[in-house]
Amino acid sequence: MSLSSLTKPWSATSYGFLDASAKRELRRKMLKAIAVPGCQMPYASREVPMARGWGTGGLQVTLTLVNPTSVVKVIDQGADDGVNAASIRRFISRVSGAGETWDTLAASIVQSRHRVPEEVMREDQILVLQVPNPEPLRGVEPNISIARQMHADADYGKLWLTLYEQIVRKGRIMQGAGYPSMVNGRHVMTPSPIPRWDVPKLNMAKHLTFLSAGREKRLFAVPPFTRVEPLVFSDRPYQVEHHADLTCRRSGVSGYFMNELPVDGGGSAFEVSDSNLGIKAIQQAEGAPVEIGKTWYRNGEFSA
Amino acid sequence: MLTVAPPDAIEMRANATFEALMWALSRPGDIRELPEAGLAAIAETLVDLECTVFSDDPALRAQIAATGALQADDISEADHVFLSSLEGAEARLVALRCGSALYPDDGATLVAQVRHGVGQRVRLSGPGVDGFLELSLGVSSGFWAMRAMLCAYPEGFDMLLVDGRSAIGIPRSTLVEVL
Repeated sequence: MSLSSLTKPWSATSYGFLDASAKRELRRKMLKAIAVPGCQMPYASREVPMARGWGTGGLQVTLTLVNPTSVVKVIDQGADDGVNAASIRRFISRVSGAGETWDTLAASIVQSRHRVPEEVMREDQILVLQVPNPEPLRGVEPNISIARQMHADADYGKLWLTLYEQIVRKGRIMQGAGYPSMVNGRHVMTPSPIPRWDVPKLNMAKHLTFLSAGREKRLFAVPPFTRVEPLVFSDRPYQVEHHADLTCRRSGVSGYFMNELPVDGGGSAFEVSDSNLGIKAIQQAEGAPVEIGKTWYRNGEFSA
Repeated sequence: MLTVAPPDAIEMRANATFEALMWALSRPGDIRELPEAGLAAIAETLVDLECTVFSDDPALRAQIAATGALQADDISEADHVFLSSLEGAEARLVALRCGSALYPDDGATLVAQVRHGVGQRVRLSGPGVDGFLELSLGVSSGFWAMRAMLCAYPEGFDMLLVDGRSAIGIPRSTLVEVL
């Protein structure tokens, strides 16, 4: 064995930014995350040219998956044109040669912050969610070693207690984003801060979901056809946000998750949160040949 | 302006191999096509100096040694186990690492060459399977009994079964019923 046999020829950058050993580590952990759905797997979380907490976890998963034939969509709170989303999408494309898109139907990898697209994702698509806080027990148990033991014991009583206290105090469950959900009947995960509206989209879905927290150095996954059940009491059904009757002021679509915009003199206006769905609806109304895929919610009702 | 270096052959192979393995484990029982036949590309995709590897194939052992991975003489020490056959391997594989409820990721990855479409018929259900799926695999019922004994979810080991260029994944979360 010589030194040259242990090294590679010099090159200015690694393909896809991450070096080969970082990718191998992520691959090993991603396979384990698939094998134990909803269980948080620790990983090293390398430096990427972006501050921790701005989607570095999702970015590392995407950079591991990406190849020149990939087509990447990146969304931030439903929008493709936010600074964070646009920068991440351009970075991925620059270091990998992958295509960029705004269209959920055209994407092979969808990296997202805080939303799941409204159009149903196919069996060949991968959703990569950026997770700020992967530990659902953080609010009830600050010690991560004890939280790990609670996951090992499937001891989620304190989470149920939190939800119960919300009902007692406020009359309803106040948990908005990151609703704790039982995956495969064993591990409770936080589905990243997606609204309650989006949690049913992960249940028995056709696509594969990775959830990765770069700052917290943990990733977990929801494989296709896996049960994702929000924690609810049998006499208090799970409720999504009451957006079924709202209409987008720009595109006119209704029955989807909306952004609420305060208007002068009080009151609110609403715009569809999945911005490209709104754009496609406007283009379709203008007669352009645009395809809007089947959506998870139809007439404001979830129907998978 | 940053110019992207095109991926080299090793990068392309590892990327395509991982994609096949990822979808194989995501959809247990589905056959995925590897870019290259055999176990060597899988070792190249997953294994490096952070791993402890057991292999029963001298050629593969030499390749793995070049990655800097620690070679295990004992299956119980390995986090990746590469076997050229599962026949009569139950007695040895009882020692496979299955992790713990605290650290399920310590469970081993078993990569083995196994004939697809012949042998014992099994029914798979669990995450990744829409309802259930039946298939034949060249794995004995004794092995499945051993697996059922070891895989006390979330503890367990994950299997990648390779036949030529085809790969089938069976993660620990899959319920395997011998028919």
